[in-house]
Amino acid sequence: MTPVGLEHFLVVSGVLFCLGLWGVIVRRNLLIMYMSLELMLNAANLALVSFSRFNNRLDGQIMVFFIITVAAAEVAVGLALIVALYRKKQTAHVEDLATMKL
Amino acid sequence: MNLITLEIAVVILALAVLLGDLWTPVAHKRSLGYAAAGGLIIIFSYSFFAAPAFGSGFNDMLVVDGLSLFFKRFFLVAAIIVIFIALEFADRIETGISEFYSLILFALTGMMFAASANDFVLVFVSLELVSVTFYVLNSFQRNRLASLEAGIKYLILSALSAAFLVFGIAFIFGTSGTTNFSAIHGLLETGPDFGKNSAFLLGILFVIVGLGFKIATFPFQIWAPDVYQGSPAPATAFLAIGSKAAGIVLLLRVLFIAVPQVALHWNTLLIVLAAITILYGNLCAIPQRNLKRLLGYSSIANAGYLLLGFAALNQTGFAAILYYLCGYLFAVLAAFMVISIVTCGRDSEDVTVLAGLNQRSPLLATVLTLAMISLAGIPPLAGFFGKFLLLKAVVEQGATNSAYYWLVGITLIGVVISLYYYFGIIRAIYWSKEPADLSPVIVSWPARAVLIVCAAGMLYLGLLPDRAVQQTQLAVQVLKVNSPAVQIQKEARHP
Repeated sequence: MTPVGLEHFLVVSGVLFCLGLWGVIVRRNLLIMYMSLELMLNAANLALVSFSRFNNRLDGQIMVFFIITVAAAEVAVGLALIVALYRKKQTAHVEDLATMKL
Repeated sequence: MNLITLEIAVVILALAVLLGDLWTPVAHKRSLGYAAAGGLIIIFSYSFFAAPAFGSGFNDMLVVDGLSLFFKRFFLVAAIIVIFIALEFADRIETGISEFYSLILFALTGMMFAASANDFVLVFVSLELVSVTFYVLNSFQRNRLASLEAGIKYLILSALSAAFLVFGIAFIFGTSGTTNFSAIHGLLETGPDFGKNSAFLLGILFVIVGLGFKIATFPFQIWAPDVYQGSPAPATAFLAIGSKAAGIVLLLRVLFIAVPQVALHWNTLLIVLAAITILYGNLCAIPQRNLKRLLGYSSIANAGYLLLGFAALNQTGFAAILYYLCGYLFAVLAAFMVISIVTCGRDSEDVTVLAGLNQRSPLLATVLTLAMISLAGIPPLAGFFGKFLLLKAVVEQGATNSAYYWLVGITLIGVVISLYYYFGIIRAIYWSKEPADLSPVIVSWPARAVLIVCAAGMLYLGLLPDRAVQQTQLAVQVLKVNSPAVQIQKEARHP
C-alpha cells in the first residue's frame, strides 16, 4: 500500500474542480450554481494546502486564509442578490433571467 | 509619500462619505457626491505634488513604480468622472446614493492596489475587492429587474473566473514554491526547465482566463453585453474603463514582470485572441439598438485592440496600450455621461432617444459625436493615434512572424466595420427622421465641465501626443521583454 502523496491530493482537488465546473454549466438553479462555485474555490484551497504541506512552505496556507475570507464576503453579497431577485421575480432559475436580449 | 498613501486616503474618503451620510438630511444626500469628487481631486493633485515613494514593501508584495503610479492616477481620473456621472444619475437611484458613491471609492481602492500588485495573493485580493463591489454597484437599482439580472450574471461569471484564477495560482505556487512575481522571474531565469513544466504553464493559462474575464476578451466576454445593458450607467462606465484597466495592468504585470520568458512563446495565443476579440466585438455590435449594449460590444472590440499591444511583445506596444487606455477613458466616459443625461426621465435607452439631440443640446451632441469619432479611430482624435501606435508596434514585430501582418489586416477590417455602428449613433443625433421631442436638455454646470474636460482630453491626446507618449514610455520601462528577434540572435551567438 503506497503512502498518501501529493498527487493523491491533487487528483482529489482536480476532481472537485471539475465537479464544480460541471455543476455551474449543467445546473440551472442559481443557488446550486453558487454552491458549485464554492466547490471550485475549495478545490483550489485543497491544492494550495497540499502544495504548501509538501513544499514545506507556509505561503500557500496564508493564501487559503485570504481565499476563505474573500469567499465569505462574496457569498454574503451573492446570496443577498439572489434573495433580492427572488423577491422581485419569485424565481431562482437562470432560464428566467432573460429580460435582456439583442 | 508613503507606499500606500494614496490608497489609504481613498479608503478614508470612502469611510468619511459613509459616515457623512448619517448626518446629512435626505434631501442633500446626493450632494455628498461633490464631497467625494472633491476629495478625489485633492488626492489626485497630491499625487503630483508629493515626491513619489518608489520601492516595494509588505514582504515585496506591493511595488510602487512608474507603471503603478501611472495607473493609480488613471484610476483616480476615471473615478472622479464616474462620480460626476453618478451625480447626474442620482435621481434614478431610489435609496442609498451615498453608499453608491462610497462603493465607487472602494472599487477604486481595489484597482489602485491592483496597479501595485507584485504577488499573486495581492492580485487575487485586489481583483476580488473590485468584483465584489461591482456586484453591488451593478444591481444597485434593485427595483429594476434588468439591474438585478446584470448583477447576478456578473456575480456567477465573475466568481467562475475567480475560481479559475485561484486554481491557476495554486498550480503556480505548487510548481515554483512562491507567489511573488520577482521570485518567479528569478527562478525562471536560473532554472530554464522549470518554465516548461506543464503544471506551471497550466497555472499561467488559468490566471490569464481569470484576467481575460475582467478585460472581456474572447472567449470570456459573454457577460459584457448583458451586464453593460442592465447596470446603472455610472456603474457601467466604471466597469468599462476601471475594471478593464485593472485587468490590463494585472495582465501586464503577470505576463511581463513575473513570466516574460513564458509570454515570449505565447505570441500566437495572444495574436489569435486579439484577432477574434476584435472581429467578434465589432460584428456583434452592428445590429444593436440599445446604447449601453452597443457600448458593451464596442468595449469587447476595444479589449481586442488593447491585446494588440500584448501580442506585439515590445516596449512600443506596452506604451501604446497605456496611451490607448487614456484615449478610451475620455471617449467612453463622455459617452456614458451623455447617455445618463439624455435618458433621464425616460425608460428607453434606445438609439432613438438621441433624435434631434443637436437641437436639444448642442454641447451634448458635439461631445457624443467627438466620443464616437474617437472610438471609431478617425483622425485627429485620441482614438486614432492610439490605434496608430498599437498597429505600429505590431508592424515592428512583423519581421519575426508573418502572422503579425494578418493581425494588422484583421484590425483594419475591424475598424472599418466599427465605422458603421459608431456613425449610426452620429446619424441618430443629426439626421433622425422624426425627432419626437425637441425640448432643450438642461445640463448642470458640473456635467458641462466634465464633458468639456473629456472633449479637451480627446483633442489633446490626438493633436499633441508627444508629452503623453513620453509619459507612457517612461511608465512601461519596468516591464521586461526580450523580443523574439533579440532572443534568436542571442541563441545564435551562444549555441
